[in-house]
Amino acid sequence: MSDKPNHERLKQMRFLSCLALAGGMSIAVAGGPAAAHTPLCSCYDNGDGTVLCEGGFSDGSSAANVTVVVRDDAGNVVIEGKMDANSEFEFNKPGGPYSVLFDAGEGHQIEISGDDIVQ
Amino acid sequence: MNLKKSLIGGALAAAMFAAPAPAHFQLVYTPDVNLEAPAEVPFKLLFWHPLENGHAMDMGQPEEFFYVFKGERTSLMDLLRPATFHGAHNDSQAYEATVKVRRNGDYIFALVPAPYYEEGEDIYIQQLTKSFLNKGGLPTGWAEPVGLPTEIVPLNKPTNVIAGSTFSGVLLADGKPVAGAEIEIEYLAAVPDMATNRAGDPTVSPMPGGAIVAITDERGVFSFGIPKAGFWGFAALGSGPVKEHAGKELSQDAVIWIRAFDLR
Repeated sequence: MSDKPNHERLKQMRFLSCLALAGGMSIAVAGGPAAAHTPLCSCYDNGDGTVLCEGGFSDGSSAANVTVVVRDDAGNVVIEGKMDANSEFEFNKPGGPYSVLFDAGEGHQIEISGDDIVQ
Repeated sequence: MNLKKSLIGGALAAAMFAAPAPAHFQLVYTPDVNLEAPAEVPFKLLFWHPLENGHAMDMGQPEEFFYVFKGERTSLMDLLRPATFHGAHNDSQAYEATVKVRRNGDYIFALVPAPYYEEGEDIYIQQLTKSFLNKGGLPTGWAEPVGLPTEIVPLNKPTNVIAGSTFSGVLLADGKPVAGAEIEIEYLAAVPDMATNRAGDPTVSPMPGGAIVAITDERGVFSFGIPKAGFWGFAALGSGPVKEHAGKELSQDAVIWIRAFDLR
């Protein structure tokens, strides 16, 4: 009985944080449909000193303007950019170990180790 | 009396040999149609009776073999290699190819085989066949036609149909829906072994009653409940615009293969 108000408050808080999340996400994906999709990202070593990453969402929506961050093994950002209109991002392959973060907002991030990026 | 009997027997035997005709199915087969990583994907092109693991037919040099990815067609003709397929009852001329798949999205594979002369019916058969592969989970156009003279366009994603759900498709000829067409349905019961080119042991037997059939509605759409995981083929017989080859009747068919999975 006495926990009902608490429960209501919790629900409200959850609702509010959902709103905040949704707001953040819609900014991150530039207005793309935010619901019912999972982020997708694959990267390929082009074999010419460059790496190509392609993003997307499982519902087919575009990943244009999604942030891509390349870090070295110490966690320092070495390259940062955004997916182009074709949901692609190409960068010069760092000399040492690296990782790629596809960052479409909270819960929509994919990190790929450079070790898994092959030709 | 005896002569009559043996005549009937002979006619029956002839009929029996010609009888598997309803379930000719061209295959464009690869076992794994949902890829996570770039791969060299092996394909087998077989003309066969895959439900009963029956007679395997010789294929001639295919006229076209290609995939469509994001609306762009890539010819695979240079990758074709002749191969021998060992069916349960006979060996047949088949083809194989290894196709590199790298980018994420839907790959629609299409084969235009050489017309096959079916002696039992004195006709030619040409099954324009499509199969699908997805890389990385990204949908990029599996529901688009590839522009074959006749083709079945899926209305459910063809690479992960759930066993127990339904599959629908629309039959096109010259890009327009075909109403009232007969669609034959086949289960890949004997899965081909990719290493040895041998038919596997059939996992099911054909049930009585002959071919499994659906009819397209006025919009050219058919639906079928998929009862079991595995590969299912759908063939529209004679739906293509070309009706004659080498002075004989041609059955230009549209075939599509889909992959169903159990929901566990």
